[in-house]
Amino acid sequence: MSGIYIHVPFCKQKCTYCDFASYPRELCKAESYFACLYREIDGRSKQFPGRVIDTIYIGGGTPSVVDAKFIAGAIRQVKKCFHVRETAEITIEINPGTVDEQKIKEYKSVGINRFSIGLQTGFDDQLKKLNRIHTAKDFLTCCNLLKGENISADVLIGLHDQTLEQVKKTVDLAIAGGVSHISVYALTPEVGTPIYTDYLNGELLSDDETADIYDGVREYLKAKGFDRYEVSNFCKQGFRSRHNMNYWKRGEYIGVGVSASSFMNDKRFTNTFSIDEYMNAVIYNKSPEISNDLIEEKDARFEVIMLALRTTDGLNVKEFNKKFGIDFDTEYKTQLLKKGKYLLRDGDNLKIKDEYLYVQNDILLEFM
Amino acid sequence: MSINKENVRNFCIVAHIDHGKSTLADRLMEKTGQVSERDMEEQLLDSMDLERERGITIKLTPVRMFYKAKDGKEYIFNLIDTPGHVDFTYEVSRSLKACEGAILIVDSTQGVQAQTLANAYLAIDNDLEIMPVINKVDLASARPDEVATEVEDILGVPAMDAPRISAKTGLNIEEVLEQVIEKIPAPKGDENAPLKALIFDSYYDNFKGVICFVRIMDGQVKVGTKIRTFMSDKTFDVTEVGVFSPKMQPKDSLSAGEVGYIAASIKSIEDTAVGDTITTVENPAKEPLSGYKKALPMVFSGVFPLDGSKFNDLKDALLKLKLNDAALSIEPDNSAALGFGFRCGFLGLLHMDVIQERIEREFDLEIITTAPSVSYKVYKTDGTQMVIENPTHLPPVTEIDYMEEPIINASIFTPPDYVGPIMELCQYKRGVYKDMVYLDKTRVQLKYTLPLNEIIYDFFDSLKSRTKGYASFDYEVSGYQRSDLVKLDMLLNGDVCDALSIIVHKDKAYERGRQIAEKLKDVIPRQMFEIPIQAAVGGKIIARETVKAFRKDVLAKCYGGDVTRKKKLLEKQKEGKKKMRSIGTVEIPSEAFISILKTDNDR
Repeated sequence: MSGIYIHVPFCKQKCTYCDFASYPRELCKAESYFACLYREIDGRSKQFPGRVIDTIYIGGGTPSVVDAKFIAGAIRQVKKCFHVRETAEITIEINPGTVDEQKIKEYKSVGINRFSIGLQTGFDDQLKKLNRIHTAKDFLTCCNLLKGENISADVLIGLHDQTLEQVKKTVDLAIAGGVSHISVYALTPEVGTPIYTDYLNGELLSDDETADIYDGVREYLKAKGFDRYEVSNFCKQGFRSRHNMNYWKRGEYIGVGVSASSFMNDKRFTNTFSIDEYMNAVIYNKSPEISNDLIEEKDARFEVIMLALRTTDGLNVKEFNKKFGIDFDTEYKTQLLKKGKYLLRDGDNLKIKDEYLYVQNDILLEFM
Repeated sequence: MSINKENVRNFCIVAHIDHGKSTLADRLMEKTGQVSERDMEEQLLDSMDLERERGITIKLTPVRMFYKAKDGKEYIFNLIDTPGHVDFTYEVSRSLKACEGAILIVDSTQGVQAQTLANAYLAIDNDLEIMPVINKVDLASARPDEVATEVEDILGVPAMDAPRISAKTGLNIEEVLEQVIEKIPAPKGDENAPLKALIFDSYYDNFKGVICFVRIMDGQVKVGTKIRTFMSDKTFDVTEVGVFSPKMQPKDSLSAGEVGYIAASIKSIEDTAVGDTITTVENPAKEPLSGYKKALPMVFSGVFPLDGSKFNDLKDALLKLKLNDAALSIEPDNSAALGFGFRCGFLGLLHMDVIQERIEREFDLEIITTAPSVSYKVYKTDGTQMVIENPTHLPPVTEIDYMEEPIINASIFTPPDYVGPIMELCQYKRGVYKDMVYLDKTRVQLKYTLPLNEIIYDFFDSLKSRTKGYASFDYEVSGYQRSDLVKLDMLLNGDVCDALSIIVHKDKAYERGRQIAEKLKDVIPRQMFEIPIQAAVGGKIIARETVKAFRKDVLAKCYGGDVTRKKKLLEKQKEGKKKMRSIGTVEIPSEAFISILKTDNDR
């Protein structure tokens, strides 16, 4: 299975927690940026010929802030350069207040069949504080435009003074909007973002408080028919994100555009975070990559474990043994002994017990 | 070439810590042209980075200077800089043996302090001529005349004509040099007599072998001389002799009255113990010079490699440090919690701190040190006696008749305002009041006997904080005393961690147990399960704290395909874990073992 990730580094304004490559003031460069993006797609298809694409994901930034014709153009370009399966999952991230009927029509016309909406919270005062561009009501309006579609919503936990009740109400709002998939991310204060100051001043929730909310919302989502299938991802049956599942299965993917990461032929590489550098490189037929690392077998093994143990499916030991030609149980005997009580073994399947999924780093480090 | 002894002066500088020893030494070298002002690195003699950073002198350092005096003659000065901290009194006493006189520096703003007195007495005991110098007269709060009177009153040393100097600005340094000639006697000794060279220090050089710092009392030594010492029967051929200027400078020979060094491809420092006498094989001296009493380690602590596989590296590091540090004692140790390591003996807490830091810096090794202990005498019910330096080795209570702990005589100098708080502190530390002397209007000398075991915790810090840094403190071990002592164990997750055990007075056990449990709760990071921390005496739990299990330890923000970044975050976390040591199922940061010392019982 192979995926393609397309990065759109534009948005209306930066959210206070955002440390992604997104540049509101560079929106004017969208046209030339996409011209370069098409060119990179073409180049990558020649670099990695014969790939069959199962998922495409357009992320950002806010991909929906740019003219829909650029998005449509990117999808058409991918389809032209690669063999994209008929059944492919094609997702776009959108923000309430940036889409209309026309845009959505255009997205659908090129085959986009999954919409990931940045809701974050159902409370307007919190949205405002996060410097989001929309209200809770805008979210519902957006969902109305997408009636009957496969929709996902992102929800943040750990906000200043946030309560479990508020998060439950946010979930209610998402469900009212008709979503079949919800991602619950814990706010992570990154250096250089405005929220980092709040973090330093102790204004965000503590890890314990965040964990309380996480546990509460997990239970709540379960009651509403949303099962956890990865640390931060919940969905109704049959609505897992195939694109993300590919990451966790350590499948190959090509990332195109600013800051995009790829994993192809055992190499992980990442493009520059600067729009200008990116465009210059592509125009002059140079590599836009800023790093390119071959993953050695030892690291590869750890990646497989680390990614698989994020999911509730866990690790398929038999596949692992086949892939690396070793015996997992022998190789990781001490680790399994030491952390065994936090793991669940069922035949060929190894997973972290449900109650320990949110404290998994300590387990993962053993396997490093 | 023989030298004219009449024109040689061997002296050292002694003082209370921070009264300006190293600065004066620098100034003297500058004045005698030993170093040009331009090349002058502040405090030349403190060559260890550690010494310069902390502003302390640890090792004694000799230097040779030439001075053209006002009488027109040229003199050779051999100066030995000495440490000022109480831990290193031993080093001071060694350097004194190599000299005829001592410059006693007194800070004119602070007057006579605890180590001024201690060092002056040491010098007097060694029959040295004492030459007082009043320093820091450039400061506004200087009171040189009063301080001179004080020196006369307290020490009984004439001080009216003592040079009033500022080592910092260079004021009156010449007067110091002139007085050295005038007051400090020239060395005696016969260059034609059999060789007698006192080893007052030594260190190991990777290329030349052991370098002995010597004072030639009688005779001569040159390259090629066959030498031996009195304590060892090995013989060596001298490969190099020389003087310190201040770097080592080879010479043809050294003769009676001189201070210098001898190298003779000596492989083991044990063959040339400090305090031993070197003589020649051909024409040996009949008897050695009177040496020094051996420095006895007072404080003992376990030293373990953080990474268990580095045991041999740690062994090498300790042996290398021991080459230059006779006071350091090393013994293999084995802890259930920390694995293989060493039980080391130190002169005091500063010495321990310095050794620890040198291991980490000079040998790039990460280590765990356990809480320091003193040596206890245990009298068993079967009539036998044993000395315990490691709480773990304490026999079961049922086998102990009684125990004794080391006691010190402490002398504390303080402005009268702080007498109350100091008495309170000493009482809290189980001290027994002996005497109080008003030295003058501004200073009181308090005498106490205290258990050494109370001093090695935080006595010095508490003393400083209670007296705003004004009090000074000196002590000497006076003997052992019967005491009601118990072993305090700490249990982590139900298991005793032997590396955390300490011996305390029975009346202090509950309080210290509670403090240590609280402290451990702060330093032990949360883990996947709840960790009970308990303090126990003789199997009875006397205090408990709990480290809660962590609730969130996950890379939560995990969208996008940037696996490399996620791995980096985990790697960083793993780095942090490397600083931890697994004790059973519990992971403990290396600093936890020493942090239990720093319980703040200054209520």
